[in-house]
Amino acid sequence: MKTNKNQLRRVLDSKPVSYIFALGVFVLFAILIVSRQLRPFQLSAIEPYWGNIQSGFLNTIWVSFIALVGSLVLGFIFYLLTQSKLKFFKAFTDVFTEIIYGTPLLVMIMIMAFVVGPALGTFNRTATGTLGLIIYITPYMTNIFKSTFGSISEEQYMAMDLFGFSGYQRYRYIIIPQVVRMLMPPLMNNFSLIIKGSALLNVITYRELFYEITQMTNNNFRFVEGFLLMWGLYLIITIPLSQFTKYIDRRYGL
Amino acid sequence: MKIELKNVSHTYDVEVLHQLNLVLEKYNAVALLGVSGSGKSTLIRLMAGLEKPTSGEIFVNDYDVIHDEDYKKHVGFVFQSHNLFPHLTLKRNISLILEKTRGFSLEQANQIAEDNLKLLKLDDQMDKIPKNVSGGQAQRASIARALSLNPDIIFLDEPTASLDPILTDEVLKAIEELRELGKDFVLVTHVISFVKDFANYVVFMENGHIIEQGTPKILDAPKTNELKAFMKKVR
Repeated sequence: MKTNKNQLRRVLDSKPVSYIFALGVFVLFAILIVSRQLRPFQLSAIEPYWGNIQSGFLNTIWVSFIALVGSLVLGFIFYLLTQSKLKFFKAFTDVFTEIIYGTPLLVMIMIMAFVVGPALGTFNRTATGTLGLIIYITPYMTNIFKSTFGSISEEQYMAMDLFGFSGYQRYRYIIIPQVVRMLMPPLMNNFSLIIKGSALLNVITYRELFYEITQMTNNNFRFVEGFLLMWGLYLIITIPLSQFTKYIDRRYGL
Repeated sequence: MKIELKNVSHTYDVEVLHQLNLVLEKYNAVALLGVSGSGKSTLIRLMAGLEKPTSGEIFVNDYDVIHDEDYKKHVGFVFQSHNLFPHLTLKRNISLILEKTRGFSLEQANQIAEDNLKLLKLDDQMDKIPKNVSGGQAQRASIARALSLNPDIIFLDEPTASLDPILTDEVLKAIEELRELGKDFVLVTHVISFVKDFANYVVFMENGHIIEQGTPKILDAPKTNELKAFMKKVR
């Protein structure tokens, strides 16, 4: 009898079961919230809008991917500037970083779409708004380049020198492979940041997930169904992403 | 081995080595001793050609260390913390160098790597990356790496500094066994008992000067106050 009790305790206290319980708490909370609404919960109300929501979902992924690539490239260029011998470049990136860190993403998008864009003669708000998102993420990208390149110790460079590796060989076999492995986890975290930030692109009427669902709720007033669905759809992207990040860090981390 | 230092000075932010002169012949295991900050690690790096001194000249086995680029090919260096490339397996850490910079085929390079790792008793660890082996094993792999390049001289810069006592023993034993290979050694260490067993010449440094030198016997009967004080501290 006692061993049975112990066994039961071991199972209940195991990691997978604990996570199932923890998840259950949040599901219960959601059910409670839904059940307390004045109107009955009807997912079928969403059906006529399903096509739009799907395309919004894909647009969210698409614009986030563009922003990921864009900010990665821009972040790398800024990283190179910080490494320059010319003090101006370092000062420039420092001032830029401070300004961005002090700016809400929403403000950044508005400024780019409604102020900077028109001044430069473009009213393509999707492009300028996305550029705002790219610029906003850039310092975070510069940071991860700084920390990954910085984590290759001086002694490693000394060893490369001692063993007689050529400049090309150093990058090809030693520096780049390490940087890629160390870069992946923070890069994925930034991707998650971008996906969440992309919701703000609705203010420039970019037809991403947030925009499409608010369009629907404005028409059919199904706020509960719509917003819960929206929330779920964001989590469907971001949670697997963060789990995948943890996996590759465990598997390939240095 | 022959080592000659002529007026060697070195400056980082401040001068850390002051006009060092040293002539050594016929000793094959030289130990550099001193407290942290005495300049011994800087000196061993200069002697191995990892860094160039601010002024002065260094000759090792008739190589002009500062100007002869070929010298580095005859040197093995074991760093304080193993300093293996973290993304490569122990075996690849060695074979990459042999393959890319010494002109061996991949098969030959792998063979040499395996032979040397086996010599250091790492048969089961060679396909792991450094973070998945113990500190002692990584440091032994780093010794195997130095050996694989078939150097004339092996420099060891506090090879046990980052290890606990048990792993320290393990690494020191491995170094001890290398004596039979007939290589020359220059080493920096804090482990006095090991110096007495292993070295046949001792150079004691403080504040960037060579204070006292001679066979390990000087450790039992130090002449200078500095070495006396040092021996008291390390005991």
